[in-house]
Amino acid sequence: MNKEERHTLAYGVAGLLILAFFVWTFNLLFSIQDHWSESNDVTAMDKDVHALFDPWRNLNRPGNDVLENYEVAAQNKALGRYLQEYRQARGRLDMHGRSQVDLSDYYRGMDAAAEEMESLAKRVLELAEERESLRLAGADAVSISAAETEAATTMARMDQAFQSGLDMIAGMDQILDQRLLDLDAARRAGVGSLYLIVIVALFSSALSLVLLRRTSVQGAALRSGSERLNAIVDNVVDGIVTVDESGTIESLNRTAEDMFGYSSDSLSGQKFHSLIQPESRALYDAADFQPGSQAAGRNSELTGMRRDGTLFSMELEGTRISVEGSPIIIHIVRDITERKRSEKRLQLAATVFENTSEGIMITDRDGRIQSTNPAFTAITGFAADEVLGQNPRILQSGMQTRDFYDAMWKSIDITGHWHGEIVNRRKNGEAYTQWLNINAVRDGSGQVTHYVGVTFDISDLKASERMKDEFIATVSHELRTPLTSIHGSLSLLDSGVPAKSPEKSMELIRIAKNNSQRLVRLIDDILSIAKIESEKMKFHLRPVDLGELVMDAVEANQEYAKQFGVQIQAETGSIGARVLGDKDRLVQVLTNLLSNAVKHSPEDGVIGVGIVRNEGYWRVKITDTGPGIPDSFRGEIFKKFAQADATDRRKRGGTGLGLSISKAIIDRLGGRIGFESDPGISTCFYFDLPVMQQHWSTEAGAQRIMTSVEIAARPE
Amino acid sequence: MSDEALQRILYVEDDADIRKIVAMSLEMVGEYSVAACGSCADALEVVDDFDPDLLLLDVMMPEVDGPATLRALRRRASAADAPAVFITAKVQAVDMEEYQRLGVFDVIVKPFDPMALSDRIGQIWQQYRSDGHDDAG
Repeated sequence: MNKEERHTLAYGVAGLLILAFFVWTFNLLFSIQDHWSESNDVTAMDKDVHALFDPWRNLNRPGNDVLENYEVAAQNKALGRYLQEYRQARGRLDMHGRSQVDLSDYYRGMDAAAEEMESLAKRVLELAEERESLRLAGADAVSISAAETEAATTMARMDQAFQSGLDMIAGMDQILDQRLLDLDAARRAGVGSLYLIVIVALFSSALSLVLLRRTSVQGAALRSGSERLNAIVDNVVDGIVTVDESGTIESLNRTAEDMFGYSSDSLSGQKFHSLIQPESRALYDAADFQPGSQAAGRNSELTGMRRDGTLFSMELEGTRISVEGSPIIIHIVRDITERKRSEKRLQLAATVFENTSEGIMITDRDGRIQSTNPAFTAITGFAADEVLGQNPRILQSGMQTRDFYDAMWKSIDITGHWHGEIVNRRKNGEAYTQWLNINAVRDGSGQVTHYVGVTFDISDLKASERMKDEFIATVSHELRTPLTSIHGSLSLLDSGVPAKSPEKSMELIRIAKNNSQRLVRLIDDILSIAKIESEKMKFHLRPVDLGELVMDAVEANQEYAKQFGVQIQAETGSIGARVLGDKDRLVQVLTNLLSNAVKHSPEDGVIGVGIVRNEGYWRVKITDTGPGIPDSFRGEIFKKFAQADATDRRKRGGTGLGLSISKAIIDRLGGRIGFESDPGISTCFYFDLPVMQQHWSTEAGAQRIMTSVEIAARPE
Repeated sequence: MSDEALQRILYVEDDADIRKIVAMSLEMVGEYSVAACGSCADALEVVDDFDPDLLLLDVMMPEVDGPATLRALRRRASAADAPAVFITAKVQAVDMEEYQRLGVFDVIVKPFDPMALSDRIGQIWQQYRSDGHDDAG
């Protein structure tokens, strides 16, 4: 059913309802009027019924009067008058014809009673005259008495008739009174309905007025419709181009003219194709512009072409309609250059959001998570759909106090911003430290709509900071310990207290001396480590013969080994083990390894030093027969200040830095350092350096290998 | 054995040189009897025979540190009630709180003056006595 049909139906129903309403109203009015006039009639009737009483009573008089008054002739005359009065009153009743009350039975009863009364009254008067005649004639008492007796009997019958007439009158009176009451009630009901009608009528009138007013406005609008339509079509933001079935342009609105740079006249007779980039024309031709069609013809994106040949992105909609029998196609054209541009911007923003290494979390103003990026998932372990709608407190580690969060929200509320370090918890329960930036996002009216949290995991940074702090704490402890000894022993000597005991004095002097040496070694080692780590240590790369290097180092450490009752045996020979290295640094490494071996060897122990070829590397091995490396310490051995038994450190004079320095040097030379330990039997520390190639002997080659060495060393 | 005077100090320190200096200082300046031990194990070996009046402990020691050494010593009747003094460079607020929880009576900060050390120990002892610990030793 279309709109028009619906309107027709609505008007039809409304008309029928109004007709029914009028019929009802008129019916009601007529019935009220009927009730009204009948009520008047019945009231008059009731009055007339009342008026019967007196004449009726008079009819009964002759019988009584005659016994006291013997003037029969006068009585006869009076009776005639009474009868006439009665008949007049009775006759008035017959004039009330409109009432619906049926009193005909009463009328007949009344008339019968009246007839009987008349005849009886006449008989009584006759008897009275008869008795008078008898009395005047001197008749005997018996005759007179007989006449009197008959008169009395007749009068008794009169009484009966009289009574029956009275009953009739009273009955009529009662019926009429009841009718009056009924009519009154009916009239009241009618008046009530009238009030309802008045209200309905008033309401309907008001409604009609409103509708009428609207209709008249619409009417006015319709009158100026066609001019208005033209103005509207010209001023819509979309371009409108109508095309006939052959694709020839019929008209353009002003927006379309501006969009394409033509005027309607200059385009007349041209094809719509001229508004489209040639490459896009096939797409246009494939479109289907049937009304209601969901095919490509609706909302296709094409490249439009302006008069000057410049191109722009446009969205095209087409609808085929029929105007006065001939089909036309209405094209709605939209310049979507700006939309495309913002789509691209949004696309870029989305790409950044998806690919940045910073975790991003967006919540609504109530703190419910709306969106997270892959980096957030990578950091927290929570997939986006796991946290959607949740409160970010699922990430809380419990390591921040309530006050911390209060201060954070206070800052966000006041400045719209907060940043700082915060410890959160990943999905797997692991706590991590992150740097967090929270910004409130506000709409045009300044209302907060979202909060954006940008975060990156700084656990590693914190761990390395912690390591640095620990290193500093350890260094300061390591430096303080010998200083305490030096200061303590010198103070005691200075006080003169131990003067009486030369051995004690000597002991204190030895302590001071040893600790001074230890301090020097420590400072040297710490500086070496710092230099290597900051890559400030210079390496002078030259070809080095490892055999010669080992012999020199062994010789240099032989004296030291003797102090511990240990012997060093080198089994190298001249095997031409050439590597590219810094001789001084390699001596430093060898000395470290040798002194470690010496310190951990039993008395009379023998340390073996050898060089072997290990594929592309020369391996230098230092083997001792010391207690070996405990399993628990193997992973720690190259770390700074690591010593399996720290009490040894002082006994044996190590700093705990030798191996980590050695490892750093060998790493820088592109080699590797390691150990094999058989606890209780022997321990072998070794380092491997790449076998030197012939062409490395030049400085240029050395430089090149240094570069490759650095690259090789970097993954460490 | 006097009820009042401090005589025997059980001293645990892993650094041999510092151990010698402190022991010398306490013996020669303060004229105390000192049992100087290099580790918790050494201390547990001598504590019952030595019957110390006071425990003087280094904090940063390898394997068993000062607090653990104190707990181990407290399980021995001979050292259960002796006042404990830590001699350490670790004196940050958190460290001090921990020492307090352990029931450490006082802390001597490293580096210390060996000539003043005995006096300091003597003062700590007096303080301990005046706090009402009459049954010490």
